[in-house]
Amino acid sequence: MNSFIDAVSTQAFMQNAIIGGILASVACGVVGSYVVVKRIGYLAGGIAHSVLGGMGIAYYLGRPPIEGALVSALVFAVILGWVSLKMQQQEDTVIGALWAGGMAVGILFISQTPGYSVDLMSFLFGNILMISSDDLLWIAGLDVLILLIVFLFYKQFLALSFDEEFARLRGIPVERFYLLFLSLVALTVVILIQIVGLILVIALLTLPAAVSGQYVRSLNVMMLLATVLGVIFTTGGLALSYQPDLPPGPTIILVAGAFYLVSLVITRFWKKA
Amino acid sequence: MSTDSVIKIKDLDFSFGGPKILENIEIDIQRNEFIGMVGPNGSGKTTLLKIIMGVLTPDKGSVKVLGNPPSQSVQEIGYMPQFASFSRDFPISVEETVLMGRLGKTSSIGFFNKADKRAAEKAMNDVEVLDLRKRVIGSLSGGQLQRVLIARALTCEPQIMILDEPTANVDMKVEKDIFDLLKQLNERITIIVVTHDIGFISQYIDRVACINRTLICHPTSELTGETIENMYGAHMHMVHHHHEDEKN
Repeated sequence: MNSFIDAVSTQAFMQNAIIGGILASVACGVVGSYVVVKRIGYLAGGIAHSVLGGMGIAYYLGRPPIEGALVSALVFAVILGWVSLKMQQQEDTVIGALWAGGMAVGILFISQTPGYSVDLMSFLFGNILMISSDDLLWIAGLDVLILLIVFLFYKQFLALSFDEEFARLRGIPVERFYLLFLSLVALTVVILIQIVGLILVIALLTLPAAVSGQYVRSLNVMMLLATVLGVIFTTGGLALSYQPDLPPGPTIILVAGAFYLVSLVITRFWKKA
Repeated sequence: MSTDSVIKIKDLDFSFGGPKILENIEIDIQRNEFIGMVGPNGSGKTTLLKIIMGVLTPDKGSVKVLGNPPSQSVQEIGYMPQFASFSRDFPISVEETVLMGRLGKTSSIGFFNKADKRAAEKAMNDVEVLDLRKRVIGSLSGGQLQRVLIARALTCEPQIMILDEPTANVDMKVEKDIFDLLKQLNERITIIVVTHDIGFISQYIDRVACINRTLICHPTSELTGETIENMYGAHMHMVHHHHEDEKN
């Protein structure tokens, strides 16, 4: 533990990792809370995984993968949103197909990219220790954009996630806001890919909010607590993984998962008592 | 009298592309009337309400709400849906739930403002749930929740209230409380309420609109034993069919 604190105080990469975790926690606390209360974890998982397609294409074209991730996350968010609005019967099948199809496209493009083979593992499982100052700027920028949109349309998002039918009758353009909301999920996914990679995104997106939701009485407080928990999970995972030199992404996820399970048991027990 | 009509429907037909769900509907609802709407499941009640609120467009005929097409008047209608269009474990307080009714009346960006909060407070006061304002909705009893949903419908300060089976999930005592409350609100608001319990509400309402693809209106003064028997006759007939269906 001491060596972790030493590393944080002396090593720039460790400071970047901590800051990256904090910035990512903001997005996943806010957007993750909506995902949890609206129960669209599977849809969010589809967006997260299909993003590999865009990253693979960007890599093939020699562009930074984050650009491909950003474009494909937004495109898939709109496609999947449209599917869930228009094809409710087959929604889960279509999401599954796009989920796997997107990943397959990504892997094909990566395999066809000339030159030394890209570290596929870092796309899939992320590497918070490799976050550069540029990445931090990207993440901070996306955070600001997400928070701005959520503040502007707080009422509509609350209505949409609480009672869609009522929102529609009050004249809210529900479909448009649903697609806008999924675009926020897409932006969050792009941020989180930097931290834990796209396979593990869905855990970091939903677990802090799910734990938080067990204790709170309002959506705002749920978002705030989820953000704090996100910081605890990412920093805690980093600290635990440092000494034994474990990959930080999976460690972060296991910390979050353990927290969630313990919390689940406690709240069950508590409610019975 | 006919000069103060709030909802005027003439010669209306509606279908979802197939057979007609509603046919030849005519009704003229006056300001401060209290209308009970009855009809078997699938008779087109909810469809007609959605047309009045501008969510669905009729194939034929004219609909005027407060003298305008429905989509222009929807902000003047307070709507209380049938229970359960949301999850009761959602982390939201009574006050926030009631504030949802301000959507469409308040500014489209940012948070709820002072005027919204005042309107919500007044609505909660009117339906006597002000002391529950900080409670989370999951902790309310069935009767309390119905009152909160009426408050939500009231916060837009509507001229018309439409309630779709407001007492479907509560006991007789609560049902009476709720209809007493609606009767009070009726002094300033025109009310349309969908219900199955026409015998009970006949003491509150002015007219009954019986819907089963077509619409027939009875003034409550006409609600003698015979008309009630006729209506219930039709009703029991439907129930009878359901039973047969289940057996087969």
